[in-house]
Amino acid sequence: MGKVRSSLVVFGLAAAGCLGLVACGSSSSDNSSGNKNEAKIGSVLPDSYDPVLIQTNQANQALQLVYTGLVTYNHAYGAAGAKLVPGVAEAMPTISADKKTYTFKIRPGLKYSDGEPVVASDFEHTIKRLTYLGGPYSSFSSGIVGVPEYLKTKNPNADISGITSNDKTGEITVKLTAPDSKFLYAIALVSSAPTPAAKSPFKSSTTIPGIGAYTIHILNPSREFVLTQTPGFNLPGIPKGNFNKFDVVKESVPQMTQDVIDNKLDFMTEDPTGDLLPQVEAKYKDRFRLAPNPPNTYWFFLNQTTPPFDKLAVRQAVNYAIDSRALKRIFGGRLQPTCNFLPPGYAGTGYKKIDPCPYGDPNGPPNIAKAKALVAASGDKGMTVTVWGNTKDPRPAITEYLRSVMVAIGFKAKTKILDQQVYFQTIGDKKTKAQAGFTDWFSDFPHPGDYFEPNLSAKALASSPTFNFEFKSNPVVDKGIKDLAAADPSKVADKWAAIDKAVIDDADVAVYGNELSSSFFSSRMDVANCSGLSPVYKSDWSLFCLKK
Amino acid sequence: MAIDPAAELPSGLDVEEIVALARRDGDKPITGVAPSRLALRRLRRNRGALAFGALFVLLVAMCLAAPLYAKHVAHTDAYENHLTETIKLHGKVTDVVSDSGVAIGPTWHGRFLLGADESGRDIAVRLLYGGRTSLEIGFAAAAITILLGIVFGILAGYLGGWVDMVISRVMDVIWPFPTVLLGVALGTALAVGGLKIGPLEVSGSSLLIPILIIGVIPSPYMARPLRGQVLALREKEFVEAARAQGLGPLRIMFSEILPNLSSTIIVFAPLMVANAILLEAGLSYLGAGVQAPTPSWGTMISVGVDHMVTGPHQAIVPGAMLVLTVLALNIFGDGVRDAFDPRAKVRTVK
Repeated sequence: MGKVRSSLVVFGLAAAGCLGLVACGSSSSDNSSGNKNEAKIGSVLPDSYDPVLIQTNQANQALQLVYTGLVTYNHAYGAAGAKLVPGVAEAMPTISADKKTYTFKIRPGLKYSDGEPVVASDFEHTIKRLTYLGGPYSSFSSGIVGVPEYLKTKNPNADISGITSNDKTGEITVKLTAPDSKFLYAIALVSSAPTPAAKSPFKSSTTIPGIGAYTIHILNPSREFVLTQTPGFNLPGIPKGNFNKFDVVKESVPQMTQDVIDNKLDFMTEDPTGDLLPQVEAKYKDRFRLAPNPPNTYWFFLNQTTPPFDKLAVRQAVNYAIDSRALKRIFGGRLQPTCNFLPPGYAGTGYKKIDPCPYGDPNGPPNIAKAKALVAASGDKGMTVTVWGNTKDPRPAITEYLRSVMVAIGFKAKTKILDQQVYFQTIGDKKTKAQAGFTDWFSDFPHPGDYFEPNLSAKALASSPTFNFEFKSNPVVDKGIKDLAAADPSKVADKWAAIDKAVIDDADVAVYGNELSSSFFSSRMDVANCSGLSPVYKSDWSLFCLKK
Repeated sequence: MAIDPAAELPSGLDVEEIVALARRDGDKPITGVAPSRLALRRLRRNRGALAFGALFVLLVAMCLAAPLYAKHVAHTDAYENHLTETIKLHGKVTDVVSDSGVAIGPTWHGRFLLGADESGRDIAVRLLYGGRTSLEIGFAAAAITILLGIVFGILAGYLGGWVDMVISRVMDVIWPFPTVLLGVALGTALAVGGLKIGPLEVSGSSLLIPILIIGVIPSPYMARPLRGQVLALREKEFVEAARAQGLGPLRIMFSEILPNLSSTIIVFAPLMVANAILLEAGLSYLGAGVQAPTPSWGTMISVGVDHMVTGPHQAIVPGAMLVLTVLALNIFGDGVRDAFDPRAKVRTVK
């Protein structure tokens, strides 16, 4: 028994060691955010510090304070935050009668954070960089006259014929190949913000000056950066921010949650993990907010080019069988069940609650009997279906849920879980023939075209990999995108709503909800009045303030 | 019986053991006692090893009884989710998974005895089915490791020359790779596209993938010591005698040399099973082993660690089963080693 005893002792020591490690791991740096002029933020760091190369929400939250576009989004809460306002341009552009030419004039006397003057031609340089470097939002510039030709030259300094600038008058003219009301929304993003040509090379850079309330200083690209208020910044309508400095540090999500609880961080860009969320929500109600920002939709894609989802009855069956209440639990309560493809954040620009929902109340129980009957009638009962998902929590559980639904309605089903890094490009490849599975969409900017075009249109199918995982377009969607391209979405909201309903009626997708993002603050922050909830940036730090 | 202490002792026995045997058997000659019988006697005397061996058998029996437990006690299976269901507990209706996603903890009743996971699946049922998966992979992978170790160890040791050089260099390539990293790389690659070798096609979600990965990667750990042993055995007189009788190399390798490796193989076997179970858990935890929704202890721990605050049982229960199983196998394996190679024990103590 000596051996047993010694083994147990070794095990005990190992366990004690593990506990020790955990204890050590839970201790945090002693940087409390006691300074009234500074706020400390925990974050997953930006995917890039170069404005034309960023994509993640974390990057947008920080860099929108550093780089301002010709037009920009209103720094305001709720729907008002989706409104376009002049930024570097002194006014909203004048638009020609054919809606293809936009004329801007930049504000006189503007300077970048390094003191250099802003000139009109810097905007064309930014569009060239965005296009040449192939930034995530570069596709939005493809509608500018001359961009395809510019790309063909493979010369970064070649001219884009559709953009003309006059550095003396500050006037910029942009010509589009076709009317597109998405254009202004796209150039309001950080990726189109003018930067000085001399300091913006045609390669990734982390030292590009901008025009913004804050200036970025990268202390360690993989660990920490600081935003300090830009001296002399003055753009009418753009807040200067209530803090002199934001110190942004990389931490793990459990660690940053604990640090916000302990008031060592003032804010965290991430949601507390599913496990900590109920505890945080219950204990720290006064400094916790949940909101569907940025606007998003979660749905199951159904590949209409492969059996059994090539049949309307089968797609309807999946819609009938989905129980959003179950999925809400998998999301830890952070899911708002819906029947619409467009999220509620598009109220006024296309969202109109589909009521009654053709597949039953999204907050109610599913209709499994009806779903089974539809599958049986389709003749595809017993067919094998592979449900695709990825590794990011809680997506494996969501995927497993859909598998169980498929089994419940009469299919043989199995799952295929891929790493998140390769998931979308794999299922977006037509050759993969992914039958059904997890997908979602977070709005790039508040325009319904940004929802329907990449996910459901024929245009999206032209690229590979595509985000149109249905691999078929709905004619109503294609016609709507074409007909409504030139119109201000707020003026044709009913027509976008009709397209939304057509997508649901045709069961092109199996929608189940909108994710609620959380904002969690330290106890010194004034959450009631300055939570900064923005429909574009998720959280607008320039609106944060301390309790008085 | 007179014993000359200076003489070489048979079968690695110490003087006391031979004296004890002589006393027990009277004046009968001790040459009739087979080494395996002696080893079993020693193993029987090691109560600690036997107790943990029994524990392992009990764990295996529990896992084998998974379908019975699922059907007659838990009334569910390993895959069925109960996300929106409620159960009556102490007269009170309780959600299996609450609106905020918190799964029910252990009920200590038939249904959800050890609680539910994030998808509302019965953890006790998945634990038993997961055990079957882990043990199945453990035994199958260990069998592959042992088989490859035997074949390559004997071929390299006996044939020598270029065969030894090729096999040894291949082993040299596999040996220094961190096992888990190599397993993760292979597991991730194969989980997507599966395995296709000519007409043989294995789906990415098949258990064969982790079995092959976990079976092949540690094979040098078995092959190398066996090769060393074969190098010594091939020079022995009985091999010379077999050659002189005209036996071919294959016959000599597998009917003359292999039986002499049996004690080493028996000693390695339980440890290899334990190692394979641990490796499976590690790879599954990292998403490169058993693929969802198939339960295994590794995948259960992987899901459970995300819920350590609200549902620590989700990771602790499969973790405890894993620790118990590996501990039982290791201690029993140590007992087997001591029984078959008492000198090793003496060497360890020294």
